[in-house]
Amino acid sequence: MSATAGAARGALKINDAVKLYEPSGARVLAVDHCSLDIRPGEICMIVGPSGCGKTSLLNAIAGFHGLDGGSIHLDGRMLCGPGHPQADVGPDRIVVFQNGALFPWKTTLENIAFGPIMQRRMTKRTAYETARRMMADAGLSGHEYEYPGEISSGLRRRVEILRALMNDPSVLLLDEPYRALDALTKSVMHEALLETHYRTGTTIFFITHDLEEAIFLGHRVVVMTARPCRPKQVVEIDIPHPRDYGVLTSRRFRELAAEISAVLEEEALKSFTRGEKEGGVQ
Amino acid sequence: MADGSPESPGVDAVRHCIEAALPFKALTGGTLDALAQAAECIDLFAGEVLYEAGSAADCLYIVEFGVLRLEPIAKTGHPAASAVMRPGQAFGWIALAEQGLRRNRAVAVTPARLLRLCGSLILNLVRADPAVGRMSLEDLRAVLQAIQLSPGRDAVPGHAASPVGSVVKKPAAIEIGLFRVAQWFRSPAPYMMLLGYALLLGFWYLSVQVLKLPRFAQMPGLTAVLHEWFSKNPTYGVSIYTPVYYQHILVSLRRIGIAFALATGLGVPVGLMLGWSRVFKDYVFPLFEMLRPIPILAWVPLAIIMLPGSELPIIYLTFLASFFATALNTMLGVRSIDASYALAAECLGASRWQIFLHVVVPGALPFIFTGLQISVGVAWFSLVAAEMISGQFGLGYLINTSYTTVEYPTLVIAMFTLGIVGYLSSSLVRLAGMWLMSWRTRHLALGELR
Repeated sequence: MSATAGAARGALKINDAVKLYEPSGARVLAVDHCSLDIRPGEICMIVGPSGCGKTSLLNAIAGFHGLDGGSIHLDGRMLCGPGHPQADVGPDRIVVFQNGALFPWKTTLENIAFGPIMQRRMTKRTAYETARRMMADAGLSGHEYEYPGEISSGLRRRVEILRALMNDPSVLLLDEPYRALDALTKSVMHEALLETHYRTGTTIFFITHDLEEAIFLGHRVVVMTARPCRPKQVVEIDIPHPRDYGVLTSRRFRELAAEISAVLEEEALKSFTRGEKEGGVQ
Repeated sequence: MADGSPESPGVDAVRHCIEAALPFKALTGGTLDALAQAAECIDLFAGEVLYEAGSAADCLYIVEFGVLRLEPIAKTGHPAASAVMRPGQAFGWIALAEQGLRRNRAVAVTPARLLRLCGSLILNLVRADPAVGRMSLEDLRAVLQAIQLSPGRDAVPGHAASPVGSVVKKPAAIEIGLFRVAQWFRSPAPYMMLLGYALLLGFWYLSVQVLKLPRFAQMPGLTAVLHEWFSKNPTYGVSIYTPVYYQHILVSLRRIGIAFALATGLGVPVGLMLGWSRVFKDYVFPLFEMLRPIPILAWVPLAIIMLPGSELPIIYLTFLASFFATALNTMLGVRSIDASYALAAECLGASRWQIFLHVVVPGALPFIFTGLQISVGVAWFSLVAAEMISGQFGLGYLINTSYTTVEYPTLVIAMFTLGIVGYLSSSLVRLAGMWLMSWRTRHLALGELR
């Protein structure tokens, strides 16, 4: 919860990462010699065709599965690499899932306080107090005792991000968290996420399909190639922060969108003609 | 809602609804009629958005039935509570303030029907109404402003609504239960239920006592059974006035209680382990699947040989059937849990044991309780089978003896008693489940399934 201490942390260095799958005997290369440096405190947006292997990369960072080559370092500490192919899952890198993974049997407050209580970092009491304060800071007071099933999907996403931030992670790993939301809710989510980012300075690794979302939120947008996944182009978004929705109609925004969509379309077409299945590689 | 014709709410019903919900107490009949004529009916699906924040506000809404939620779009730093609108309540008052914008978004939580009233129309009619004619536009504005500043902001409860206030407090499971009972009495369900019973009893009465169908000649008639059941001096010795009747019930209940408790106490952990631990499953599941299909009746001789007395074999047989149902459903429950919950818990630093306690157990609860309901059912089933073969008391024993001694009314009394007691016991399990899974009941009560 330290407000700005996060700014110096969260440098993620991905070096020559390789991930293979052998789902039915046939080898599939999901991630191919992918190297990427994510700066501390950055919002790094990853875009790429469906099923290109972005999620494989995210899972490797989170430690959900191992790498078949290369290494990943976080703030100079090796997460995975030669001799230790799979990173340990831990609260310094927290994933926010595509379909949301708030525990439906716990109230929003219990969900947010879950991490520190499990890690025995805080007593229940302090954890609940901190969580309540966090909700108030984010403007979510009044929803503390509601269950995830009772609140809107937009609210659920925000609570899930608070649950992650409660652990003061070095990196937030977001896997298309706003995919299922309608456009209006999405824009509210974006502004809330930026606001939270300005407050905490946490590094964010954000996978998306939505180009507008990528440019609006990101410091940089990384366009991935069709499978196997590898950065094709890294675009610096030179629109100054803090941003608001006025940015969407600015000229610079449209120029960037045109530039990135040209690159992206080429890859999407490649992936499409090969007939790759969405989410074929998990 | 007031009258049960959802297809075309009559003008009267609409008028009544408007009269109850609007804060202008002194509207004349003519104005109300005009408003009722102008009101449009809209139906919403659960989850449908009525309006978004920031959209133009030109209409006022009154909830006819269903539940809506008004969600303020929180500006950071301001605490914002959402309000729940229930039948009889009106919201969207900002429409009367002329050219306002919606401050929150309105979403139907359950399927809902609303009355829509155009804001400018209300203003015109109200202003033209002789009863409120004195009220100037400024007064009206002041009233509206007071409404706007009330806690629910864009909403006030109508006179007809409960005194809860517009920021509705969390309904407890009990309140939801009571609400449901009240709803049930207002629905056609209870009458259909009575009709169902009447059909069965009528068929019985007709076939046995009036038509005297050939195969039904031996059957005890409806009146004979009822007479016997409620007789102070029953012909065959068993009625609600004889202690022996309750002794049979109690003995059966005790056996069920012990067997069910054992089956739950063992079945749930075994099921959790089967679902959670690959190694445990590899050892146990094949054995489990081989034993499970063996019918309880096939176990009877072994049970009698293995276990002393007559009580233990009966409990053992009852336990066995329950155990398999509980364990299997629990296992399925564990496996139905979305993998991302466990991954998320791991990310948040939970140990394997903590994941088991905080994710696996609560996540499997809905299935566990489905299993327990099946398990009470099969427990009664195997109990009666066991009691018919051995034992001194119990409803199954009563059925068997009254059959061999040709006391047919008693036989039917025992059957009905079994039905009633069985129904009650599974309701009890259901209630326990609702109490333990308030997160789920509340969620279901609101009619929203993700």
